[in-house]
Amino acid sequence: MIRQPITVSNRLGLHARAAAKLVRLASRFSSEIHISREDANQRIDSKSILGILMLAASKGTRLVISIEGRDEAEAGEAIKQLFEENFGEGN
Amino acid sequence: MVRKRERVFQGNGVSAGIVLGQALKLDSHNRVILRIRVDDVEEEVRRYLRAIEASKEQLAALKSRLEEKVGREHSIILDAHILMLEDKSLNAEILATIRDSHANAEWAVTQAADRLVHAYESLKDEYFRERHSDIEDVVERILINLSGGRPVSWEALPGDLIIVSHDFNPSNFASMDLQKVRGLVLESGGRNSHTAIISRGLRLPAVMGIQDFLPSIVSGDTLLLNGDDGQVVVNPSQKRIQSQRRRIEAFGSAAEAAPAQASPGTLTRDGKAISLRANTELPHELRAAKKSGAEGIGMFRSEFLYFRHRGGLPGLEEQLSAYRTLAREMSPHPVAIRTLDAGSESIFEAHDLASQVNPSMGLRGIRLSLHLREAFCTQLEAILRASCEGNIEIVLPMVSTVEEIRQAKALIGQVRSRLLKTPKVELKPVPIGVMIEVPAAVLALEVLAREVDFLCVGTNDLIQYMLAVDRGNPHVAYLYQPLHPSVLHCLSRIAHVAGKTKIPARICGEISSNPFYAVLLLGMGFTQLSMNPLSIPTIRRVLQEVSVESCRKIAVRTLSFATAREACEYLTDAVAKLVKMDLASYAKEILAPNSSPE
Repeated sequence: MIRQPITVSNRLGLHARAAAKLVRLASRFSSEIHISREDANQRIDSKSILGILMLAASKGTRLVISIEGRDEAEAGEAIKQLFEENFGEGN
Repeated sequence: MVRKRERVFQGNGVSAGIVLGQALKLDSHNRVILRIRVDDVEEEVRRYLRAIEASKEQLAALKSRLEEKVGREHSIILDAHILMLEDKSLNAEILATIRDSHANAEWAVTQAADRLVHAYESLKDEYFRERHSDIEDVVERILINLSGGRPVSWEALPGDLIIVSHDFNPSNFASMDLQKVRGLVLESGGRNSHTAIISRGLRLPAVMGIQDFLPSIVSGDTLLLNGDDGQVVVNPSQKRIQSQRRRIEAFGSAAEAAPAQASPGTLTRDGKAISLRANTELPHELRAAKKSGAEGIGMFRSEFLYFRHRGGLPGLEEQLSAYRTLAREMSPHPVAIRTLDAGSESIFEAHDLASQVNPSMGLRGIRLSLHLREAFCTQLEAILRASCEGNIEIVLPMVSTVEEIRQAKALIGQVRSRLLKTPKVELKPVPIGVMIEVPAAVLALEVLAREVDFLCVGTNDLIQYMLAVDRGNPHVAYLYQPLHPSVLHCLSRIAHVAGKTKIPARICGEISSNPFYAVLLLGMGFTQLSMNPLSIPTIRRVLQEVSVESCRKIAVRTLSFATAREACEYLTDAVAKLVKMDLASYAKEILAPNSSPE
């Protein structure tokens, strides 16, 4: 089980396109991957786009990602990278 | 079951009457999603999964087309839509509803969607809040793939329904079973919308402009609707229902009863004969027209036949039978059939015409008919062939040039001579008139009048075009002023030219049905008014009480004011002194639209 904090740093936040990329990526792993906002209790499945959009995570939102499963290490690394690359949006 | 809490909402009463009924919520596409019990749930699950697969394939195809056109970055939004279709928790929820409640897939989908849309709408961040429109998009696609997105048949519905929707197209009246509908509640719209006008014509109590109503009710909720004061009570308490029962019953029995006895014509106090005709659209309005003692149909809006076909065109036989019924039922009184006056999207789509940014100034009325010549000739043939059943007249809508009249008359001539060669077809002469609803037609009235047998003044559109105001637009609706000096001068000019050229002019707008305006119009020189059938008895009573001379004085004075407000104050006061009947509710009607937005 991995728990890692992550901050949304791209300009538009976890909007539809970024959310789509995150879901596509998370779905590649067999691990259970959940995301929650630091400031709220809801815990959503990162393989559900409707859940991710419900997080309404704009730029600067602090999230916690918890991953559990066989490929949790790779999944954690890949997701961290996606956030750090600002979902390929430049900023 | 737990009794639902009573809640009170306030909107604008636009059509009088008080009714109790159960809500029937229509979605943004005016569709009804009914709950149906399915026995074979696994087959229903497969049907749902097939619809999801079909939706995904369509979106994938759409996505690759979009990618070519605008590039990959933008087409990714469709990726989000595809992912919504694949969303595990959404699918699980829908499948559980189907399996656990034996629900049809359409119902299960809309239940889940309603909940989601609601959740999104409560988000603080505007961008994420707006995602509900993506969900609605996706749901729309699933529903179309499930059942073609067609509205559910009215046969399956119970009675005593109150339609609840965000907005409502007048054409929807054509597709619903009015025997089952008791009232209408809309979030948008106002007193002067076409839907409000039809509601009044149908004596269908209606409340419009009621904010944020849809999220707080579900189909099946009991509603107490008061079209007089605009109040709608959701799940009213027994106590409240009891206290209103007498009024509800009184309205119900009045609606059943005949509005008035047919009477032989209308004479003013000084003996001037006034002709009152009915405007109709739906077949059952014909009954109301006959009951009201209308001396004919002043304007039959033939769009009704077209709307029923959702953009397709009604065939010759269908039109012929409708026009024959009209002519026969109203005989010996005349029936003026207005040729197609729609600029509706559905018709454009069906005929591969590009959609128009500004349809009210686009290809509509006679312009559209001259464009769709074959369909126009079919309509003309049906009208001409129905002529021997009674007394039919043709009215051409939206005319702005003499050429349009000449072209239409040439086509009527061609159809007529072709029909005359057909054995066993009998034809009677059919007078031809034009709608005067474009300001240009008013200014060129002398030249237009030479071409026709009569004029129909479509005041609803004329006022809008004259004042450049869309009365359906709440921001500018206050500028829709029938008593604006320019409107009054237009009308006065029409009466004057009609008198000079001896070409009769009939007022066919909503203003005819208001006693104050009726007095004013009579004073200007109009002796033919056409209105919704249910207003005829009142207008007849008012005009029987007045003399032409007193009305003329009122008209002259009304024309002298600089603002609609002053004209209105004078007119209501002067007419109230002239007529014994209590006209307070009608005075409210003409004051309301003139108030500025402060």
